Amino acid sequence: MSQPARANRLGLVLFTLYCIAYAAFVLIAAFGTFEDGKATGGLARETPSFLGGLSWGIVGGFGLIIGAFILALLYAAFARHDGVEA
Amino acid sequence: MIYETSTLAIAVFAAFVGAVLALSFWLGSRAKSAGGYFAAHGQVGWFVNGIAFAGDYLSAASFLGICGMIAFFGYDGFLYSIGYLAGWIVALFVIAEPIKRLGKYTLADALNARFQSRGLKLVAAIATLVISLFYLIPQMVGAGALVKPLLGLPHWAGVAMVGVAVTVIVATAGMVSTTWVQFIKGTLLVIVCTVVVGLILNRGFTLPSAPIPASAVQSLAVTPEGTLVNGALRTRENQLDARLRAEYGTGFGSVAALPDGATSTGPLGPITYLETFADSTVTTWKKATDGAGVTTFTPVERKGADLLLPGANPTFKGVRDDSLVAKLDFLSLMLALFLGTASLPHILIRYYTVKDAASARKSTVVGIGAIGAFYVLTLYLGIGAMTSGALDPTDSNMSAPLLAKTFGDGLFAVISAVAFTTVLGTVSGLILAGAGAVAHDLLKDVFQLKLDDRGQVRAAKIASVALGLGAVGLGILFEKLNVTFLVGWAFNVAASANLPALVMLLFWKRTTKEGIIAAISVGLVTSLAWILGSADTLEKVFGYSAADASARALVPFSQPAIVTVPLGFLTLVVVSLLTPRVQRASERAAQV
Repeated sequence: MSQPARANRLGLVLFTLYCIAYAAFVLIAAFGTFEDGKATGGLARETPSFLGGLSWGIVGGFGLIIGAFILALLYAAFARHDGVEA
Repeated sequence: MIYETSTLAIAVFAAFVGAVLALSFWLGSRAKSAGGYFAAHGQVGWFVNGIAFAGDYLSAASFLGICGMIAFFGYDGFLYSIGYLAGWIVALFVIAEPIKRLGKYTLADALNARFQSRGLKLVAAIATLVISLFYLIPQMVGAGALVKPLLGLPHWAGVAMVGVAVTVIVATAGMVSTTWVQFIKGTLLVIVCTVVVGLILNRGFTLPSAPIPASAVQSLAVTPEGTLVNGALRTRENQLDARLRAEYGTGFGSVAALPDGATSTGPLGPITYLETFADSTVTTWKKATDGAGVTTFTPVERKGADLLLPGANPTFKGVRDDSLVAKLDFLSLMLALFLGTASLPHILIRYYTVKDAASARKSTVVGIGAIGAFYVLTLYLGIGAMTSGALDPTDSNMSAPLLAKTFGDGLFAVISAVAFTTVLGTVSGLILAGAGAVAHDLLKDVFQLKLDDRGQVRAAKIASVALGLGAVGLGILFEKLNVTFLVGWAFNVAASANLPALVMLLFWKRTTKEGIIAAISVGLVTSLAWILGSADTLEKVFGYSAADASARALVPFSQPAIVTVPLGFLTLVVVSLLTPRVQRASERAAQV
């Protein structure tokens, strides 16, 4: 099975980045947001996000959706530059 | 509830569905060979395929299920949006291009490319059938939810309508027309939802004419004499939301207080809309059923900021619990959503409709763009429905169409028609994946029936009719479950059965056919068994009370992926190491 090596390596790097972001988001939701059933931080508004009135839950959620598209565009652009069209 | 039907809505709906079916017939007349039937001759352009990905993927679960879950429980539904989209990253970066290179028509083709093993084909085909059937159930339930308010027909009629329409599409035409149906639906869904979100933002939030007190409890009882609403027989005048409308000027789902004591916000921007919601208080309805079968709906005021956090829905409640086991349930579901997408047979076969790996990659990017845009909109659609005063508290799946109805019958008709084609598009893809598994994998390769091209297509068409009938039956059976919850199960099973095999086949040279067969079998059986023995199934499918269900559950939490996916990987590695690896000449040549 011959693999276009660079496209694949770039793919795996971007994949790892996204995995870290997704895992961080899910773990913060599970372990950093509630204490005794009360919202104390993490995705709750008690931890202010960079978009003032919006919680990290909203910013992070939108970020993961829009971020996926940005990574996909990067991948498409760079895989083409490498000339690895199969 | 009893729904008023509108002639305009029915006319728009009929025209829409008729046009889609006509197009399907016309395109179907052009695809006669097996290559055309299963893979549209590999000639679909990458942009069309990308939007068709969206059409395939944005199923009733996304449109009806997620909107409904957000409308009832807030942020929990949005978690599905996030997880469903994140799964595409796995598809794009890990699976898409190798799958395209390895396979021809079906997922089993790709898994078996190096081995030519009948045993492997058999297991892979069974996994495809089981996953597709699991995924079909929620689509059919969604169809039933649609026709109730639109055409005033009972649930089973909607399920049967979709069953017939889809079987016609798939049996006449295969992948070419399925692709175009999905393309049209994907485009319309994103456009129409953008329009609705524009209207939602423009409307902002408005308080009802009078505050809803905690005493405004509504009750529903199904008795041998008929359905009783608040103690009196249900009629068009005496419906669940009739008293609310008369006394408070709103139905179910309304704002109880706005920031700074305002009574109406007027138009809001996309960010201020969410900020205002977080600062508001919303009246939600707590549902409880007593031993005598009387369901009561009690108003509960909740802070908007709290509704923008996970854990309000029973499926996600573990996230707010301090126990690790409860949290594992949540983590397991998020893992299943992440890994499930790239393991869904009906998504993977779409990679065979484009001409090469580069097109596969480009179409995935287009797909992610369209799907991502839609998922961003779901949060607004859900919150819009939650505060629209138009919810049906007995059925979360109807929230999106009922929201559209508050903007007029025309939009309602269009939304319902788009949603109906949504179901058609996804169900066609699923049935096609299942039919391919039966005709191409099972009959031709496993049982080695001598089928020529036309024979395979004929067998696939017969299989699609059978699958369609099976799906109709299941859709009627599972009427009451939230459709996105059901899809969560399909993702668990898909990730457990297929992902270990796919990933290891691509990235570990020592993988053997015995390893793959074992991994698929173990993943499929353990995830199904786990779901069957879980508290969620006992409660929602077999009707045990929540306490009874958790006492009788055989597994500590309900979502299996966090256990069964690693188990699949482990099985594959152990069995592969225990069995000899046969290297083929073609493979040796390719590695040089």
